[in-house]
Amino acid sequence: MDTPEDLRYSTDHEWVRVAGDRVRVGITDYAQDALGDVVFVDVPAVGAVVEPGGPLGEVESTKSVSEVYAPVGGEVLAVNTSLAERPELLNSDPYGDGWICELRPSDPSTVDNLLDAAAYRALVDG
Amino acid sequence: MTTEPPAVAPAASEPVPLRHSALIEEHVSLGAKLTDFGGWEMPLSYPAGTIAEHRACRTGAAVFDVSHLGTVRVEGPAAFDRLQQTLTNDLGRIGPGRAQYTHLLDDDGGVVDDLIVWWLDDESFDVMPNASNTSAVTGALGGTDTTEQRAVVALQGPYARSVVRSVLPEAADLPHFAVASMTWRDTPCVVAGTGYTGEDGVEIAVPSGSAVPLWRALVAAGAVPAGLGARDTLRLEAGLPLHGHELGRGITPLQAGLGWVVGWDKPSFRGREALVAERARGVERRLVGVTTVGRRPPRAGDLVEAGSGSSGVVTSGNFSPMLGHGIALALVSEPAPATGTPVVVTTRRGPLTGTVATTPFIRAGQFASPPSTPPD
Repeated sequence: MDTPEDLRYSTDHEWVRVAGDRVRVGITDYAQDALGDVVFVDVPAVGAVVEPGGPLGEVESTKSVSEVYAPVGGEVLAVNTSLAERPELLNSDPYGDGWICELRPSDPSTVDNLLDAAAYRALVDG
Repeated sequence: MTTEPPAVAPAASEPVPLRHSALIEEHVSLGAKLTDFGGWEMPLSYPAGTIAEHRACRTGAAVFDVSHLGTVRVEGPAAFDRLQQTLTNDLGRIGPGRAQYTHLLDDDGGVVDDLIVWWLDDESFDVMPNASNTSAVTGALGGTDTTEQRAVVALQGPYARSVVRSVLPEAADLPHFAVASMTWRDTPCVVAGTGYTGEDGVEIAVPSGSAVPLWRALVAAGAVPAGLGARDTLRLEAGLPLHGHELGRGITPLQAGLGWVVGWDKPSFRGREALVAERARGVERRLVGVTTVGRRPPRAGDLVEAGSGSSGVVTSGNFSPMLGHGIALALVSEPAPATGTPVVVTTRRGPLTGTVATTPFIRAGQFASPPSTPPD
């Protein structure tokens, strides 16, 4: 499993990449592998305000429906519109072109509460 | 992120050791993701993924390990009568060397199992139930459970016959729903012109010791390994029922639109009285196909409401890899809506709009693509 060092991770298998005052969010390589082929991604509305741990969207694969939770709370600034036609990007490039949305954290310090790469690896290998 | 239980991998009700086919080590070495299905640990998908495997079966040829299906050998002078008086379909319609799809019912007309009978020769039949129903079928028919002694591989797709021609040439010319004993590398095997994908193809039962070399020969000849994930999306596109979804106790063959599986002229078979009564008064619900707009899949358990006033529930739903939108089978109240009737599928994730559609959703060979064309 690929677990980039520069990201932070939730115990629900989302990743966060900090860029200035915003964070980009997606699901991990472990998560996409467990889901199998993704066929539909429900992304949040731009402008929506999400609670930490609250619903952020849904990922549907050929075998299951999975909820995506907000790793941090905040306002949705952007969503990955490519996923409407190419949801398989979550499988092929989960940390890159398969990102789901960008948030402006209501409390940027909460990012520090997320797991680092080593702790996330320990979680999924455990 | 949380994940609901996979639709194709119902959890075992109690922790019993999982069974394995003779091909398990081959699947692991191919990098298969394994799943528990009917008490067996079987390949869900290979690294190519369910959709690529699905496409391989629609365009070329795919090979599936279906050893989890049971094999019950029923033989002897009483074998014909025992099957004929227990199962719904009329063996008088076929003869030795043919296969027949049939049902085992309970006394209420509900489907205990749907199965295929391979009529091997005059007094010998291989009955092939679903994995989890093998003991129920053995209980009803007697016979010997030979599941452990063999593997079954299904070679399916518009180019399945050209693939098998280089491995077992005799199988390439086997007619649809014919059954024949053949010899592959000095090993006896049984081949049937059957399958569960909506494509042409054959299923081959071989002694367990020959499973790996046969599998490798078929893959070397061009068949793409495919798992149970693709098997499920393929059978749904083909409009084929899955026991536990479209069929089961409480669902009769008539409700599932499978009246042709019933030998009405036979004097007796299990569940006949209930079924005859249901036919006389008319079914209260019926299985229909539904297509939905957009990629979001309808799912089993979603509610269906038709513009005609009929309503019901989705029994199986998924994304159709070939059509690019959602498809479903649904049991809806009579009078069932006609093809083309608008429907709304209510999911806990919001409504989907759709239309009642004829099944199968695709035609056999519709997406055939010559294997000689390399990808760009």
